[in-house]
Amino acid sequence: MSEHTFYLTYLWRELQHRRRQALLAAAGLAVGVGLVVTVTAATAGVSRAEAAVLHSLYGVGTDVSVTKAAPNPGTPNPDSAGTSGSSHKGIGYSPGKKPQPVDQLSPAAGLSWLPASAVTKAARVHNVAAAAGGLTLTDSQFTVPSVSQLGPGGKPPASAFPATFTVDGVELTHLGLGPYASARLVSGRGFTSSDASADVAVVDSGYATAHKLRVGSRVTIGFRHFAVIGIVGQPPASAADVYIPLARAQALMKSSPASQFTGMTRRDMVTNIYLAAASAAAVPAVQADLARLLPSATVSSSADLASQVSGSLNSAATLAADLGRWLAVGVLVSAFVVASLLTLAAVGRRQAELGTLKALGWPGKRVIAQLLGESLVTGIIGAVVGVALGFGGAAIVQAAAPRLSATVAQSPGATPPLNISMNSTGAHRSYPPGSFHTVAVQMTATVTATAVVLAVTLAMAGALIAGAIASWRASRLQPAAAMSTTE
Amino acid sequence: MYTLSGVTKTYTKHGGTVAAVQDASLSIADGEWVAIQGRTGSGKTTLLQLLGAMLRPDRGVLSFRDRDLAKLPETELTQVRAAEIGFVFQAFNLIPTLSAVENVAAALVPQRVPPAEMRTRAALALDSVGLADRAHHLPAELSGGQQQRVGIARALVKQPNVLLADEPTGNLDVDTRDEIMVLLETLWRECGLTLVVVTHDSAIAGRAQRVAAMKDGRLSIALSPEERS
Repeated sequence: MSEHTFYLTYLWRELQHRRRQALLAAAGLAVGVGLVVTVTAATAGVSRAEAAVLHSLYGVGTDVSVTKAAPNPGTPNPDSAGTSGSSHKGIGYSPGKKPQPVDQLSPAAGLSWLPASAVTKAARVHNVAAAAGGLTLTDSQFTVPSVSQLGPGGKPPASAFPATFTVDGVELTHLGLGPYASARLVSGRGFTSSDASADVAVVDSGYATAHKLRVGSRVTIGFRHFAVIGIVGQPPASAADVYIPLARAQALMKSSPASQFTGMTRRDMVTNIYLAAASAAAVPAVQADLARLLPSATVSSSADLASQVSGSLNSAATLAADLGRWLAVGVLVSAFVVASLLTLAAVGRRQAELGTLKALGWPGKRVIAQLLGESLVTGIIGAVVGVALGFGGAAIVQAAAPRLSATVAQSPGATPPLNISMNSTGAHRSYPPGSFHTVAVQMTATVTATAVVLAVTLAMAGALIAGAIASWRASRLQPAAAMSTTE
Repeated sequence: MYTLSGVTKTYTKHGGTVAAVQDASLSIADGEWVAIQGRTGSGKTTLLQLLGAMLRPDRGVLSFRDRDLAKLPETELTQVRAAEIGFVFQAFNLIPTLSAVENVAAALVPQRVPPAEMRTRAALALDSVGLADRAHHLPAELSGGQQQRVGIARALVKQPNVLLADEPTGNLDVDTRDEIMVLLETLWRECGLTLVVVTHDSAIAGRAQRVAAMKDGRLSIALSPEERS
């Protein structure tokens, strides 16, 4: 029997002797640790879902985005007359002798334009690693019926109602920025820099299926035919139906009838600027510099964009961050207290035994090591069971969690156009469909190595706190206690 | 072995000061058997704790083998207890979760004895008290007398210079009491130990070479058997 064998034998026998208390302390730690692991996994899952939603809209590599909100309908626009894409004041279509096809491009709902030179300016801001412009447009296609096509009471045929889709102009020199960066090629090929002036398009797989498009098909935008070179899968909240080169989107926009009312006839324009910061730490400074550089624009960081997400996903994030975290911390602290009290009580009951060891000449640190060892084993049991509980909890969360919805603005910083209607009860404002995206997101709860390490650390910390308190009490014990109290 | 001169130990109790041992002076020679007799609360256990380096005196000189225990640092007091003093407790004070042989071996842990030697010495110590066949029994599986034998084996396994016993038969019946006292006497003679036994039992005190009486914390004149007769 060596000293180490004796240490382990004594430790194991003591834990067996006080099995109930040891298991109770370990169970308390396990529940606390399990909750921490589950909540951490759920929080990470919600964060991943949020990130997926945001990335689908603003791109994976984008740290900061710049947009300019269109004024609400009815509000005079200081820049130009009627920059809102949904406001087409002045464009009138009257039935004539023949049907008149219309293919009209306008900035995406709620967005105003920024000069393309703003992208160059933004790229020069300190700590900006890359900057790319983007032009998000809405293509409305319909046919103005002839007089003969009108039904009773002047009712127009179905073709007179516009079919709209979103076109996103992509800057081909910075494909890693913006919504296109989140797209995953399903078939065909993606853009290359040689496509800059070509009439080529990459189409969302959902849109392609709905409109029976394949690689090699043609899609019409602003009366021009674009060859589909690739089909991409996108995260659920993605707004773009068709991607085309930015230069082509700008050229189409300049020739669009709507450009007369948006001041875009002469200058290249963008609706979005996507920026990558040199480091995560530099994002706030970049944001502040851009706000000074472009005072009329909205400068949003990923965190700002995340705060704009609403719906049950946002509620889940809040629930996980607030209630879940505090619940886990509360249970863990309670477990620490219970473990400490149980260990203290055990030391109290073992006063004669510990005093006897001291009377036999055991140094104080040897007695402390014995007690700490017992607490550590309790902590290890708590950690192992807790991690197992955490895996179970995460699996239950994943299996039982309903699909979450996330509602996000179609473009960051956009002012959604208001529909204002009047009836007998007064004026009513509502946002028209298309201003916001509501997407369903499946919540995942995956236990990460970090969460496991955190849990084990917490359990060990709890055990050590309990052991330290017991050791403190044992260290104050005099060997004479062996003769004053008996078990 | 021991020289006590003006040793005083006080406690604070209920806001007041109680002198458990007052101005005690006593010499104990090597190999001597001394009984300390007194009623409950007379201070005899406190005196034994002072002799056993478990307590420090508030005043006076407590010399053990030419070292003043009152002035030794805590680590050295621990070493003195680990190597030189064996204790036998009234309530046996065995660790309930360890077997008889493991309880005996516990006394060798502070000395960092090699594993094989620890095993051998623990077994021999148990054999010397007649419990070789109970080596792997837990204390709860042993009678009171057997438990005290294990306690004595634990005290002797470290081969101490002095054996201090606090009411060693206080929890035993008369027959077992005599058995234990015979064992202690035998070991005292065979090992050349200095034996100090605290007891309130005159029959046990009567076996000692000298008896020191404690009353209200004061140690009265120690008498030799010759003087008593």
